[in-house]
Amino acid sequence: MSIFTWFDERLELKKFKAKFLVKTFPTHPTFLLGELALFSFITLVATGVFLGFLYEPSTKMVSLFGAMVPAAYASVVKIDILPLGMIIRRIHHWSAMLMIAAVLTHLMRIYFTSAYRKPREINWLIGLCLLGTAMVAAFTGYLLPYSQFSVTATSIAYYVSKSVPWIGDWVSRLLFAGEFPSDGTVPRFFFMHVMLIPATLIGLISLHLLIIVKQKHTEPRSNRNRKEAEGGRRLIGIPIWPEQGVISLSFYLFLLFVVVLMATYIPLNPIETYGPPSPGTPVMRPDWYFLPVYGFLKLIPGDLSFTFLGGKITPETIGGVIFPGLLFLAAALMPFLDRWKEPQHYIANPLQRPFMTSLGVGAGVFICMTAVAGYIDVLHITPNRMTAYAILATLAAWGVTYTLLRRYSRKRGTDV
Amino acid sequence: MVDGIDGDKREKAGITRRRFTLGVIIASVAGAFGSLFALLKVLSPEKKGGGYVTTIQPGDKLVYAKGGNMGAPLRASSLNVGDAVLAFPAGKSSNPANLVQVIKLQETEFKPPMHLNLTDRGFVAYSAICTHLGCTVSWVKNQQAPAASYTECFCHNSIFDPSRGAKVMGGPAPIPLAQIGVKVADDGTLVFTSDFTGPIGPQVG
Ligand code: FES
Repeated sequence: MSIFTWFDERLELKKFKAKFLVKTFPTHPTFLLGELALFSFITLVATGVFLGFLYEPSTKMVSLFGAMVPAAYASVVKIDILPLGMIIRRIHHWSAMLMIAAVLTHLMRIYFTSAYRKPREINWLIGLCLLGTAMVAAFTGYLLPYSQFSVTATSIAYYVSKSVPWIGDWVSRLLFAGEFPSDGTVPRFFFMHVMLIPATLIGLISLHLLIIVKQKHTEPRSNRNRKEAEGGRRLIGIPIWPEQGVISLSFYLFLLFVVVLMATYIPLNPIETYGPPSPGTPVMRPDWYFLPVYGFLKLIPGDLSFTFLGGKITPETIGGVIFPGLLFLAAALMPFLDRWKEPQHYIANPLQRPFMTSLGVGAGVFICMTAVAGYIDVLHITPNRMTAYAILATLAAWGVTYTLLRRYSRKRGTDV
Repeated sequence: MVDGIDGDKREKAGITRRRFTLGVIIASVAGAFGSLFALLKVLSPEKKGGGYVTTIQPGDKLVYAKGGNMGAPLRASSLNVGDAVLAFPAGKSSNPANLVQVIKLQETEFKPPMHLNLTDRGFVAYSAICTHLGCTVSWVKNQQAPAASYTECFCHNSIFDPSRGAKVMGGPAPIPLAQIGVKVADDGTLVFTSDFTGPIGPQVG
C-alpha cells in the first residue's frame, strides 16, 4: 500500500484531485502576476521565520562591540554577521519590494484589461485591500531594525497620523503605543508585522483565491471566437495540475533565483551604514512604493491648512492621508462606475477602451510624477514648478492616449 | 406570551420570537463593541509628557551632539563664520528636544525677526528639530560665500534662513525654528542664556 493510498483512503485525495486540481486555468502571459505576488509572500514568510527566531523587539540599550545601542539594532547587526544572515535579510527585503511590485502590476493588468467588471468587483476590492495591507506590512518592517533610517521614517509617519483631525491623536497613540519614540512602539510594531498583518494577508489571499475558484478566471478574448466556433461553454486552458502547476513552480524557482542573485550582489537597507538612532538626519528616501506620498508631502505648501468642521486640516494630513486615501477610493469605485448588466468573462482589449485606458494612463503618470517630486532637491526644481509639471504631464498623457485610442478604435471598433 | 394565541395574532402581540432574538443579537453585538472600545482605550496609552519638551536651563554648557568629540564642550574658537554644529546641553543629551544647531555668522548679517539679544559675537542657536515632521535639520555650507549658507531639513527640503530668525524660505515647514539664547562664557565655551522663543518640534494636530 503506497503512502498515497493510505492518505487517499482517509482524505479522498482522488476526489479532491478530480474536483479541484483539474480546474482549467486559461493561459495568457500576464496571468502570472498574481502568482508572482503570492510566491513572494511565501518567500517573505519563510525568511521571516528565520529572522523572527533571531530578532529582539526591544529598545533597551545593550552593549555591542563596546558601544551602547538599542537591543533591536544589535540583534539585526548580529543577524547580518551570521553566515548567510545578511543574505536572508536582503531576500526578505527584496521579496517585499517584489511582492508590492507584483501586486501593483497585477492591479494594472486587471485594470487595463477591465477584468474588474461584473461579477468580479468583490475580488477587485479584496485586491486593493491586499495592496494596502502589503504596504502597511512593509512600513511596520521599516522600524524593526531600529536604525537611524527606521526611526526617522517612522517618526514622519507618526506625525502624519497625529496630524489627522479629530482622531489623529488617539489613532497615533494606538498604533505607536504612545508618543513616538516610546518603548512600546517596537514591540507593538513587531507584533503587527509578524502576526496581525500576515494573518490578515493570509485571510485576504484565501478569500481572493476562493472567489477565483468560484467565479473562474477571465479568459483571453481569442477564446471567445474559438468557443463560438466550437459551440463550447467551458473555460479553455490548461488544468491546474500538472500543467499550470509545473509552470508556476518553475516560474517561482526562477524568481527565487533572481531574488537570491539580487540579495547577494545589491546592498539593501545597510543598517550598519545608517547606524543606531542619533541626532542628525541623513539624506534619505523611502523605498519606491512610498515615494509618491513622500514626494507629495514635499509639494504641498506649508501654509496650506484650513479648518473644517472644527478640525484643522494640515498639509501633512492632505499629503500623507487624504492623497493616498483618494487614490485608493478612486480605484475602489472603478467597477461601480464602469457598470455592466451582463457578467463579463473575457478580458477587454485596452486599445479599444479609449476612456478607461486613458484614465488609467493619466493616473499612472500622475503617481509617477509625485514619485519624481521626491527628488526635487537633487533635480533642483522648486515645488511649485514641480506641481505644474505633474499636472501638465498628467493632462498630456491622458489627452494624448485618449486621442490616439479614439482614432484606433474608430478603425477597429470599440470594446466598451 | 399567552399560550394558545395563534401565529397571526402573536405577530401583532408586539414581542415575537423573531423580534426578541433580534433584540438579543443587537444587544450582544453592541455590548461586544462597547467592550472593544474599552480595549482600544487600554491599547493607546495616555500622553506621558511625550512630544518635544525641552529641559534646557539657562547656564547649561553646550556640548557636541555627535562626531568624534561628542560630549566635549563646544568652544567659540572652534567655529568659523559659516560653520554650524549640532549641540546638546551638557548632561542632557538623552532628550531629543534639547538638540540645537549652533551657527556662527557675521553679526552684521543678522536681520529681524532674529532676536539679537539672544546672540553673542555672531553665535546664534536654533532648535534642530524640523517644525514639519520632526527630522533633524542639517547645515548647507556655502564655501565661496559663508554668509549664504543655510539650514535645510533633508526630509522634505524645508529651508530656513539662519540670519533672519530661521524664517522658512521654502519647503513644507509651517513655522520657523525656535531660537534659543547663547553666549560665549569667560572660559571660551558656549552656554545657554534663555529658553526657546517659540514652540519646537513638529507643529501638527
Ligand atoms: S521633516 Fe523637515 S521638511 Fe519634513
